[in-house]
Amino acid sequence: MKRISFVVLAMFIMLGSAHAAETVKIGLMAPMTGSWASEGAEMKQVCDLLAEQVNAKGGVAGKKIEVITEDDGGVPQTAALAAQRLAALKVTVVIGTYGSAVTEASQNIFDEQKIIQIANGSTAIRLTEKGLKYFLRTCPRDDEQAKVAAQTIRKLGVKKLAILHDNSTYAKGLADETKGLLAADKGVEIVFFDALTPKEQDYTTVLTKMKSFQPEMVFFTGYYGEAGLLLKQAKQMNWKVTFMGGDATNNPDLVKSAGKDASAGFYFLSAPLPKDLPSEDAKAFLAAFTKKYGNPPNSIYAVLAGDGLRVVLEAIAKTNSTDTGKVADYLHKNLKDFPGLTGKISFNEKGDRVGEVYRVYKVNEEGLFILQP
Amino acid sequence: MEQFFQQLTNGLAVGSIYALIALGYTMVYGVLKLINFAHSDLFTLGAYLGLTLLSSLLLVDRLGPLGGALVLAAMVMGLVAVAGALLDRVAYRPLRESPRLSAVVSALGASIFLQNTIMLIYGARYRVYPPDILPKASIHMLGVDIPLVRILILGASVIMMAGLFVFIQKTRIGTAIRAAAIDQGAARLMGIDVNRVILLVFMVGPALGGAAGLMVGLYYGQINFTMGWGYGLKAFTAAILGGIGNIPGAMVGGILLGLIESMSAAYLSFAWKDAIAFCVLILILIVRPTGLLGERVAEKV
Repeated sequence: MKRISFVVLAMFIMLGSAHAAETVKIGLMAPMTGSWASEGAEMKQVCDLLAEQVNAKGGVAGKKIEVITEDDGGVPQTAALAAQRLAALKVTVVIGTYGSAVTEASQNIFDEQKIIQIANGSTAIRLTEKGLKYFLRTCPRDDEQAKVAAQTIRKLGVKKLAILHDNSTYAKGLADETKGLLAADKGVEIVFFDALTPKEQDYTTVLTKMKSFQPEMVFFTGYYGEAGLLLKQAKQMNWKVTFMGGDATNNPDLVKSAGKDASAGFYFLSAPLPKDLPSEDAKAFLAAFTKKYGNPPNSIYAVLAGDGLRVVLEAIAKTNSTDTGKVADYLHKNLKDFPGLTGKISFNEKGDRVGEVYRVYKVNEEGLFILQP
Repeated sequence: MEQFFQQLTNGLAVGSIYALIALGYTMVYGVLKLINFAHSDLFTLGAYLGLTLLSSLLLVDRLGPLGGALVLAAMVMGLVAVAGALLDRVAYRPLRESPRLSAVVSALGASIFLQNTIMLIYGARYRVYPPDILPKASIHMLGVDIPLVRILILGASVIMMAGLFVFIQKTRIGTAIRAAAIDQGAARLMGIDVNRVILLVFMVGPALGGAAGLMVGLYYGQINFTMGWGYGLKAFTAAILGGIGNIPGAMVGGILLGLIESMSAAYLSFAWKDAIAFCVLILILIVRPTGLLGERVAEKV
């Protein structure tokens, strides 16, 4: 009897391991708690939906895929732990994460384990300057964004500019880059350059101070929560100045916080919004997302996480292998103009996405985001 | 000069919120020598409860803006007071006889629990109060436009603080609270039910914190489950600045901290305003280690 149960147990173990070998494990490292928890929730929704769709079609390279989510809390320390857990689970690929500093804490852990990491919202320049073979990102870099910001500021004929950031790696990087690009320009004078403290509700002090320098435009490089409050409080002060934001202000919640009247006329830079994507793939995906979750995705970064998953699945299918070395080589060299949800995707040797991604948007009277020509 | 007055009103508005929250920290510390880290999350809870009640009961439509806001404030304060009492019962009272460090750990745990509960119930995204609840009028004074709501908020917090001061100084229950703060053992011997006093402190402090949360929600409109952290830290600082355990000290400390912040932002660097505020705190503590109005600690030595 003992022997029989042993055999049965052994069979179960074999079956179990055979079963496990049939899935491709995809890690998703996302901020499920903390200040960016809303981003993380959508990243998970997008990846879960894509995995469902792929599995319904029979998976990739003959295997089903399995998405394992780990919470990075939007904090570097938590991210390092999350990365170690994912590495211990022997995932092939990790999608994520959102914040640059958070991604940075996990980069080496994945690279040492030869796990491919595709970040979706980490735009800090230095992340891809380290020569890590297994790191790629579907979002563009800050210097790319700063170029578009400087162009837009010149195009709108701004003579006196105020730049406001929030001392985060991303916001300060973008502010510094833009300042550097405009420094040589005689036509644009930077009259104010400073940082606010995120998560405070009252920004009237900084608005009052900026107002005294009489800029024609305020370029705020921080996040949408603060941007909404800045717009609302500037309106309450009866200060009529043009605001422009970086891509972290791209979120419909901005309009909710500021109110439609205060947010009308606000410019921001962003990768194209899902609704402005012409491809049939994107439209079909948005329809499926809306059907499953009741509303279209709010954040472009969640969609960029989806694109990360899609390119990896494409590479696994094309190489017919889960050997991360082969897959990474394919992504760097052979993947050309893959039809992503956010436009065509190719990577350069550093792992950066190639091509112009940023667009300029303006908020209209109804609070809708309108793509500027 | 115009900028000065504008920044003065900015500082007063922020400072009065700090002061209201600081009262919760200082009252609990005064009686229990415990820093109630979960207090900032009760503040957040106040903001969220306000939103829920506002949108579900349509108070403003029924009672007009001012009456609606008053009823709303009373309901929020009552509910947050109950939450505060529950917090004491669940997280602190079982540890009353344990070393103080255990209670501090429990406080941190309660804070994380509350914050994440709010996130799970209301979601992680920013929530926004319906606009146009309060009148948008503003008063032109000393060359600056001051929104009427700001004046109302400042007035409401001053009234609440004054009410608390009278309650603590002039009533029998207030005397019991003060007695328990000075010496719990002796207070017990005098026939004061110290556990009831503590319960009361855990209701009054959170009620004021909840009212502050509601005011932040009503005025700034945007609330988030992590909003308590920043305000809590500043309010805690304000409590220390004024002398922790001392009720008028928390009021003075809060207003002062708001003013230091806005003035250093105006005339020095905005990015450095927190650094400057904390430098001032350190300087004051070097000169007066017990804070501006805190003297009781010396008596106990």
